[in-house]
Amino acid sequence: MAKFQFTGIEQSILAITIIITLGSFIYEVWRRLRIVLKGRDSLPFDHFGARAWRVFKEVFLHEKVIKDRFWPGLMHALVFWGFIVFGLVTIDHFAIGFGHPLMNEQVHRYYSYIVIPFSIFVLFGIGSLTYRRFISRPKALGKISPTSGLVAFFISVLMITYLLGETDLDPMVWRINWWIHSLIILAFLFLIPRSKHLHLVLSPINIFFKPFQLPEHTAVNIDLEGSEDELDTMLSDLTQMTKNQTLDVFSCVECGRCIDVCPANRGGGLLDPKNHFILDLREPLLKKGNVDVLSEINVEAGWECTTCQACTEVCPVGNHVEKSDEIRRLEVLVEGKVPQEYQKLFMNLQESGNTEGRSDSPLAERLPTYTPDKEYVLWLGCFARYELDPNFTKSVENFANILDVAGITYGVLQKEHCSGDPANRLGDKLTYNMLREHNMELLKEATKVVTLCPHCALNLEKEYSKYSKVNYDVSHHTQVIAELIEEGRIEVKKGSNGKVTYHDPCNLSRMLDEVDAPRVAINAATDDFFELEESGRNTLCCGAGGGLWWKKETKGRTHLVRAEQVVDSSADTVVTGCNFCYGMMNQGLKPLTPEGRSEIQVKDVADIVVENMVSKTHSK
Amino acid sequence: MKIAVLIKQVPGSDSSLPIQNDASWINEEAITYVMNESDNYALEEALQIREQNGNGEVVVISLGPDRVQKVIREGLAKGADRGIQINVDSVGAVDPLVNASLIADAIKEEKFDIVFSGLQSDDLGMGQTGIILGEMLGMSTASLVMETEISDGRIKVKRELEAGYFQWVTMDLPSSITIQSGLNTPRYPSLKGIMGAKKKEINVLTPEVGQSKQSMEKVYIPQSDKQTVMIDGSADQIVEKLVETFRNDIKVI
Repeated sequence: MAKFQFTGIEQSILAITIIITLGSFIYEVWRRLRIVLKGRDSLPFDHFGARAWRVFKEVFLHEKVIKDRFWPGLMHALVFWGFIVFGLVTIDHFAIGFGHPLMNEQVHRYYSYIVIPFSIFVLFGIGSLTYRRFISRPKALGKISPTSGLVAFFISVLMITYLLGETDLDPMVWRINWWIHSLIILAFLFLIPRSKHLHLVLSPINIFFKPFQLPEHTAVNIDLEGSEDELDTMLSDLTQMTKNQTLDVFSCVECGRCIDVCPANRGGGLLDPKNHFILDLREPLLKKGNVDVLSEINVEAGWECTTCQACTEVCPVGNHVEKSDEIRRLEVLVEGKVPQEYQKLFMNLQESGNTEGRSDSPLAERLPTYTPDKEYVLWLGCFARYELDPNFTKSVENFANILDVAGITYGVLQKEHCSGDPANRLGDKLTYNMLREHNMELLKEATKVVTLCPHCALNLEKEYSKYSKVNYDVSHHTQVIAELIEEGRIEVKKGSNGKVTYHDPCNLSRMLDEVDAPRVAINAATDDFFELEESGRNTLCCGAGGGLWWKKETKGRTHLVRAEQVVDSSADTVVTGCNFCYGMMNQGLKPLTPEGRSEIQVKDVADIVVENMVSKTHSK
Repeated sequence: MKIAVLIKQVPGSDSSLPIQNDASWINEEAITYVMNESDNYALEEALQIREQNGNGEVVVISLGPDRVQKVIREGLAKGADRGIQINVDSVGAVDPLVNASLIADAIKEEKFDIVFSGLQSDDLGMGQTGIILGEMLGMSTASLVMETEISDGRIKVKRELEAGYFQWVTMDLPSSITIQSGLNTPRYPSLKGIMGAKKKEINVLTPEVGQSKQSMEKVYIPQSDKQTVMIDGSADQIVEKLVETFRNDIKVI
């Protein structure tokens, strides 16, 4: 409480300092927001309620901050909640300086009963975080950050000066103490927009605008019949960031959670999503004052990405971190620089419509052909059609068997082309559009599509929808199986498969948001199920995503990290819901299994269900 | 520097190869065709030389029916300046002598400094067209080339010999050179390249085809069968017998 009136000179100095720091704060924030507004597309306001709810959960409750790193997250939450409580204190602090306190003595005292405990929480929180950042120093935090040290010092001094101010100080000491508190607040205000602490301002906004659908990359419409000017505009658009992406760059708090979860990085690769996809763009944006900076992304790192979206999923400030799509499409469409194995893949896709350059599929010929009177199109995908893992053929047949038993009619499309997933993820949007148009024509009459390949499922529905209206529904086969079990249309008994675990495919869990259906099916077939440490939407990529299945040589061990985790678990059987994961597990587990450890069985969800299915008469 | 690149369109390596009923050739309708692999490297070498020189012309030449326009367009999309299609029926493409003389007739007025071609085609693998063509046009020739350097009207090339040996040869231009795969990193056509290729010229020539010295007797898929031989004895004996079998019977070591 004010023990005396501040002098006119003091008040003038205070007013001028506030105007300067606040002015500089607003200028720096505005300078960045202006660049954001130059971005492509508009900021989304759809699903307003859901967005607001997400801000409440992720900002005020600190859901993601705490979930992935419990203790540091909780410490951060203490500091954050302290900040909120301190909002009123700070305004009142300056109001006192001008001789017009907001709260009378009684209110001030009551409010201090709340603030004092919080200031102690903040001190404890910031102390723990400082210890972590400067003494235990986890790798993801990167180089020592002097600004973080300065901020920790500021916050500590703010808390201490606040607490001192609440004690019975000599008026002169109180006055000095008041000034220290004020100057630190103003210094903090000066520092915020120039550092990662800008997340204080931007992260709630960024979390509000975060896309709901992963991954979110702009569609690339290519008109080969268009004029040269149209082509130039289209190509220059490819270097431009969207508003949302630009906002991401300024919101990044540099915590490095994205590095921790990145399969390429964990496998010893070069890719560092925090720097390569976010921070490397910050300086160019500020320097150019414009958004045409996507070509600054490290190309080699971009090719390493499995597009698994773990980085995006984990980001506590709402960033869509992954930008391999952006750099790859520049390399392919603008530069024509494409690794040789991918050139072969694209050529196969263009010439034969499939990844392998093949002209016949014995599996497709064995299965019934789709006609419009049938309920489902059974979409095979190149992996199954061309036996990228010959064992997987059995899984497709098992699923067909389930449909037969349940009396569901289905058929395959003999002229099915690749859904385009590898071309899409590897940046060849021209080939992607070619395949997409072929398949859309083929699916003109279809109403329901079911597939065992989550990559195909994602592309056929969500990715195709970015280009044109899709009139059919796509289900993943685990969704159909779970539904049949729940409706009692197939009967599954719990059998003995030893200890069973499930590896969540990225495309199914994070991108199609399906983690329950496979578990319903597996739990119907076993009573000894356990979860891997990284599961559900926090799963770890098998290493084959983003077209990497076709990559011949890799420096890192990205393709082995997940298989190693399965070997290290107590699993006897690992079930997957994706043909690529299935193939990677089959290839990876055997050489990694140490002598004496029993061989781990790899199964698709359809396999474990059929093995434990009580056969009913075919109702075909 | 004026460079010609000979490009052959061949069946994709993973394409199925149905044989015509009369066993005279494969059924071309059911095949996916692609650019011959080593020709792709030959094209890249030509484009890089033109880029280093800052000027010059790269012309892609392909022999065959209209389907070969696709690989010519691909070459144009990657950056070649114009194309020539020598329009002949594909079955005639059996004899490298006939092919080389057709190409020689088509390009002798053009006075190319260099003719690049892949060292052999992935379908018939004769490996002679580029060399015969060089002889016909009075050019110096070199095969299996892994590196090129051009200076003062001469070309220095690194040839691949047997058993890991290499040979450097310096020759006068004009020169016809057949390229080994892997000597450079071929590019992928950019969108601008693809769009630009539409405006580039493809000159279609329809020559009289001379009599082939060779003809296709019969096309068939080789029979394969499995033979299992059990080897008994101690580990040392087994190893000894295995080595002997590998060396003398299967001839893999």
